[in-house]
Amino acid sequence: MVDVAAIPARDRANRVVAGVAAGIGRALDVDPTLVRLLFALLALAGGAGIALYLAAALLMPDELGKRPGRMRFAAGMTLLLLTAVAVLNGLGLPWFVQVSAALAAGGALLLWRKQQRVLGGVLVATAAVVLFTGGGRGDSGVGGPLLTPAAFAGGLLLVVGPWLWRTAQDRAAERTRRIRSEERAEVAARVHDSVLQTLALIQREAADPKRVEQLSRRQERELRSWLFPEGELFKDDTFVGAIGNAAAEVEELHGVRVEVASAGNAPLDDDTRAVVLAAREAMGNAARFSGAEEISVYAEADGDGISVFVRDRGTGFDRTAVPPERRGLSESIEGRMTRRGGSATISSTPGQGTEVELSLPRKAP
Amino acid sequence: MKAARRIVIVDDHGIFRAGLRSELGDSIEVVGEAGTVGEAIPLVVETDPDVVLLDVHLPDGGGQAVIAGVSPERPGVRFLALSVSDAAEDVIAVVRAGARGYVTKTISGEELTEAIHRVADGDAVFSPRLAGFVLDAFSSGEPIRDAELDELTAREREVLRLIARGYRYKEIASSLHLSVKTVETHVSSVLRKLQLSSRHELTRWAAERRMI
Repeated sequence: MVDVAAIPARDRANRVVAGVAAGIGRALDVDPTLVRLLFALLALAGGAGIALYLAAALLMPDELGKRPGRMRFAAGMTLLLLTAVAVLNGLGLPWFVQVSAALAAGGALLLWRKQQRVLGGVLVATAAVVLFTGGGRGDSGVGGPLLTPAAFAGGLLLVVGPWLWRTAQDRAAERTRRIRSEERAEVAARVHDSVLQTLALIQREAADPKRVEQLSRRQERELRSWLFPEGELFKDDTFVGAIGNAAAEVEELHGVRVEVASAGNAPLDDDTRAVVLAAREAMGNAARFSGAEEISVYAEADGDGISVFVRDRGTGFDRTAVPPERRGLSESIEGRMTRRGGSATISSTPGQGTEVELSLPRKAP
Repeated sequence: MKAARRIVIVDDHGIFRAGLRSELGDSIEVVGEAGTVGEAIPLVVETDPDVVLLDVHLPDGGGQAVIAGVSPERPGVRFLALSVSDAAEDVIAVVRAGARGYVTKTISGEELTEAIHRVADGDAVFSPRLAGFVLDAFSSGEPIRDAELDELTAREREVLRLIARGYRYKEIASSLHLSVKTVETHVSSVLRKLQLSSRHELTRWAAERRMI
């Protein structure tokens, strides 16, 4: 892998002179011969290649990763700077461009190496100012005098911008963390008040299976109404929409497929809500007890009233074998329907599946 | 065993096409796949399959555009519409354009294989959803204009309601004391009415659905 941020080490094992070209070639994953060729070409440009090579030999760490000492570093940097100035002079650029380039290079290096960011930013900003103002000589700068304030502002932004950005990021992250921890605290409180209490009770009353079943059933109901509040169920405002939401809920909770078909629709009122709740209970029963992977639901609404059919191809059951304390069928389904003037018909054949038909005739206005 | 049916799958999701291929039984041979209307028309015309599995929504048009492009040249090719869960009016539009049925993508491989054979034999395939849509579309209380085409018979309604409730053809047959063949005839007759009816309610119904 090429790590651009690291200064490559010299590679003396494959060296021709000091291992500079070999080291750069290895770090950039290119043939060292190409690097050597580049140095040779630059050497033709007034000897710049030779000066650069010497500076690199001074500045690059040896293959053991030992960085150059202070004296060696200073010598190398001076050589590099002199070379740069000579090259820029040779190109015939005005002095302020040269200064600006030097400042920008120094600043960029500091920013890049992630040291002294503020100093680096100030250097880059000053470079921009010098470049645009022509070193204080009024109209001779690249941008003319009008750009001076803009140059300052730009420079300032370069210095302060990264800091502002980081601060904003930190604050957003902090906010997310706080919301998350508040949520976790709320869930923990809820679990403690309900689930953990119930589990403690169950442990104490483990000898009485009936009581254990009762406790766990009550807990399940409570937890479910918390996970799926009825507001969610009825958010769509129509009978068919609510049936669809109930189906989605059962799918999520029990991992079965619920196919919903419908014809017609009706507005939600207390009666239709009761039908939806009864239908949800029927879907939940099918999902839990039938063993079927798919449940078919058909909801229809017309002038005569509304009906829901919940059908599975699972194990089926014998009504007379259901213990009377199992309230799901008699209370949550049949009771709900009859209290609203409707009816629930359950037809089940062991081995072939079950169909629950809920119907509510339209009331005379 | 029935003869292998040659099919083309038209769906813009490559993963879904690959999934379908692996799910379909040995009695189905996939002779081509396309992801757009533009790819599908020349492919279907060239391969001349028994059945095209057609996604209701494609990036460059609805499934009905494929039917309109293919039918003049290959009138024998039959289409089965397939989708995740689309608006009723889009599904009805594809069926009225000539698809011989509609099923949802959650259908099991075994049931889909059966549906493909049924469509290839010239019968109709209605998913519970489509049955609900059709009952809805034909159930307005408007006076009858062309009684022959514009109304469903009581028997047809019964059959459609049982399909909507998730019954298979065999179960419908035993529940209504009919033969499976008679059930198929009823469904085909509903399909014909759906495709040929000029009934105003169908358009108005679609327009109303769009507004909801």
